[in-house]
Amino acid sequence: MYLPVDVFKGLCKKQKTGIRPEDPQCDLFEKMPKCKFCAMYTEDGKDIGKCNMKAMTYPDLPALHCTAFQWIQQN
Amino acid sequence: MAPDKNSPKDHPVDVSSRTFNFYGKPASGEIASREISKEPSPRAKKLRDLYFDAKSSASMEFPYWYTRRWEELPGEIPIIRRAEALKSGFEHLTPVIYPGELLVMGKAGYFRGSYPMPWLSEAYFMASGDKLYREALESGKLTADTVTTMGKGGGNVTQSAGNVVSIAGKFGLRKEELPILIETARKWKDQSVDDVGHKYEQMVPGYHEKEMLMRSVICMFDSGYTLPQGREVLNYYYPLQYGISGIIGYCREQANAVAGYPEMDRLYFYKAVSLVMEGIRQWILNYAEEARFLASIEQDENQKREYQEIEKRLLHLADHPPRDFHDATQLVWIFHIAVLNEDAISGLSPGRLGQVLYPYWKRDIQKGKLDHPQTLELLECLRMKFTSIDCFASMGVVGGVLSGNTFNNLCVGGITKDGNQASNELEMLILEAGMTCATPQPTLSLLYDEKLPEEFLLKGVECTKIGTGYPAWINNQVAMQFLVENYGPEGMTVEEARAWAIGGCLETSPGSWMPLTLDDEIHWIPGGSGPATSVGVHFVSLPKLLEVVLFDGMDMRTGQRVFPAHGFPLDTYESIWNAFKHYFHRAVEVLTLTNNIQHDAWRKISPSLVNSMLKPDCLKKGKDIGQLGSRYNATFNIEICAAVNLVNSLAALKKNVFEEKKVTLDEYRKAILANFGHKTAQESGSYSLLDQVKTADYDTWKKIHKLSLEAPKFGNDDPYVDKIFGEWQTWFCNMTHEFRSLYDKPMYACQISVSTHAPMGAVTLASPDGRLAGTTFADGSVSAYPGSDRNGPYALFQSATCWDHARSQNSQLNMKIHPSAIQGREGARKFLDLIRAYLRKGGFHVQFNVVDSRMLKNAQQQPDKYRDLMVRVAGFTQYWVELGKQIQDEVIARTEYEEL
Repeated sequence: MYLPVDVFKGLCKKQKTGIRPEDPQCDLFEKMPKCKFCAMYTEDGKDIGKCNMKAMTYPDLPALHCTAFQWIQQN
Repeated sequence: MAPDKNSPKDHPVDVSSRTFNFYGKPASGEIASREISKEPSPRAKKLRDLYFDAKSSASMEFPYWYTRRWEELPGEIPIIRRAEALKSGFEHLTPVIYPGELLVMGKAGYFRGSYPMPWLSEAYFMASGDKLYREALESGKLTADTVTTMGKGGGNVTQSAGNVVSIAGKFGLRKEELPILIETARKWKDQSVDDVGHKYEQMVPGYHEKEMLMRSVICMFDSGYTLPQGREVLNYYYPLQYGISGIIGYCREQANAVAGYPEMDRLYFYKAVSLVMEGIRQWILNYAEEARFLASIEQDENQKREYQEIEKRLLHLADHPPRDFHDATQLVWIFHIAVLNEDAISGLSPGRLGQVLYPYWKRDIQKGKLDHPQTLELLECLRMKFTSIDCFASMGVVGGVLSGNTFNNLCVGGITKDGNQASNELEMLILEAGMTCATPQPTLSLLYDEKLPEEFLLKGVECTKIGTGYPAWINNQVAMQFLVENYGPEGMTVEEARAWAIGGCLETSPGSWMPLTLDDEIHWIPGGSGPATSVGVHFVSLPKLLEVVLFDGMDMRTGQRVFPAHGFPLDTYESIWNAFKHYFHRAVEVLTLTNNIQHDAWRKISPSLVNSMLKPDCLKKGKDIGQLGSRYNATFNIEICAAVNLVNSLAALKKNVFEEKKVTLDEYRKAILANFGHKTAQESGSYSLLDQVKTADYDTWKKIHKLSLEAPKFGNDDPYVDKIFGEWQTWFCNMTHEFRSLYDKPMYACQISVSTHAPMGAVTLASPDGRLAGTTFADGSVSAYPGSDRNGPYALFQSATCWDHARSQNSQLNMKIHPSAIQGREGARKFLDLIRAYLRKGGFHVQFNVVDSRMLKNAQQQPDKYRDLMVRVAGFTQYWVELGKQIQDEVIARTEYEEL
């Protein structure tokens, strides 16, 4: 539901209120597909990782349109 | 340093009150506001408020996917590899749609989004990596509030704070994206256009001189890897006529037709274009999907309906040509940013957009599908889209050249293919939107022709009077003369020359008439027909070069030798002039050769695909713009800065040293090194001649400074100095044709300062015209040095037109007028008469700041109160608070005309 305005802040897509990435999660919070939530992702350093053990990537890369994205299965 | 015997110190004079920064009576009483103030529609106002609150923000999404795909295809044909990389970038961009938008899509996932392009140049990130990491660590000590609430700097992220790292003093990047930026940059080491070009440019004989020209800032920047495209006019004909699927279909047909035949590069070009079009198509579909999602969660019925309409429109445009004005405007915007996403670009102009879109608009109006208020609202939304464009580049380019602007120039007026006046009702609304939604972009230019109707011209005057800094007033006939002369050898006719428009700030750019067919009727619409201009040699600082002449090849600021000693005795004025021409010629020669190599690296590593597809006749020829696919290709030029300071300095030397012999050249050299007894601008913090601080030995130098200041100055209809100016212009415009571009075409003269007169002035010692060390040069190319034009506007016009402006791509005259001088209807008429007088003399361009200088001083002290104050700099309008102090001081110091 987060609509980024700039690197500091954004808007809630539903309520149009101002929010910041650092704000605590609210009831409307939903995870956006990102590498760090993907089963293909492995960490390879501070803010750096690998996709499918091959291509370099980073945890906060949006993956909305990545065809290989798979949510990590929660136990 | 002690002066020579019989030096000026023996003849003390008082120069303390010799500053002239107004013409007429000085402004007094209350600070004058601008005469009229208009407001945007509530929708556009909300978007503008959001813009005012948004910071320039960079993301790594596009460069990540671009680089990843590039690395997956190491053995591929380079242009296909590039196309695949671009396709991947477009396909993966996360869509962002803001509430209230009627036109959607952006360069990157922020309101003012942009991204680095390490395939052009990665050196900055490599060199700054450690520093950026350090700042990222330290930034946590500051709260985000310290940046987000600051007024000074407007949308610039000037320092790292919280989880944000400042890059180049303008762009914010989330801290968590910094490692991938550095790692991605590392992958382009020795492969970027910058690195490959640098490897081969060193093979140019005399390359060392090029290095020294850059270090001394006689030359401002290389164009091949900084801003390889731009200063040109886009052409939207093909997407408007055929739609994206039509273009893909055409490319596939052509690829089949040429496969296996000679000139095989055509096959790869058609394949590459169709790949990128597929990426753009998917990008549009991703936005449609986002609009559908937003509609699904929206509770406000009006907003929900608008999201649904956005979705429908995008789904249609992903495959088909536009159905109406709104569709056409959206499609134009999509292709505008698609080009901006393929390269670091400034000055990508929509051209004569009001004439391109007029057939759609007129049909909608006739059908009752659209009315004037709806049109105005849509045009305001388009202004907000253009105003949000940022160009990610290094600080030297973004600050020193662009002042944070990107110069998307929209032209109105001019004449049609068959020679009739070309203005229309939609252009009247474009001017109106420029007033109701006053924002820096698109800046407007009015192509003045005697055939244009009075009502239209008065509308232009109304817009200029409001203080927006636009429209700039451009001489249509002078531009056409230049175009026919420059592009005639490539087949340009007078009829085709009429299709021209301004690219970037003020770059006269070739165009073509395209047959847009709508309801079986052909409408000849104008569009750009050549690749980038203002590529080649950029910018050459003339006062700095004169300084090097006077010190026999040395840059006295750094103590380094730029050129071998010139060997001229400098014992006559002619000797100085000849030495200057010698050094200038050498500088242009080595810069032309090295820049040709850089651009060759660019066209091989990072060829243009989206822009090439748009430009006639690339699709027809099967060649991109780097392979002479465009109809006109002689676009490389040689750009100079601060001719007026050069000429004023030559006049001072001629008069004081060689004719009246009041000072020796050695004394002048010493006075220059002593900065005429003043602190430098960097020490005083003042970048004009106002508010300067004297040193203890001021009395030693004050006579020579007075002689320098009182020597004849350009801008006063003084034949003494105007003759020197004319001689410089004639020589310069002719000598440029001796040099050949990468495309083996003769180069030509270009003279606009943009913002370079600030950094180039900052590294230049005092000059013989009395200008002090580190202060900003005169702006433009025929603007008087601030405060030196004392005889009124018509005298300034006479000086400015002492040479043939059609010999150069442009000339630039900027003036500042107090609002009271042009008040009311009578004032508007008087103002139009003034503009006409200049253009009828053969002037190419004139533009005005209509503002009380005292307001600018207040705004400098209290920037938070002036977030929306805009000023004209040199070819562009910018928010005052986003300008550096070097430019602010120069604009304040410009002569204010209190009466006309």
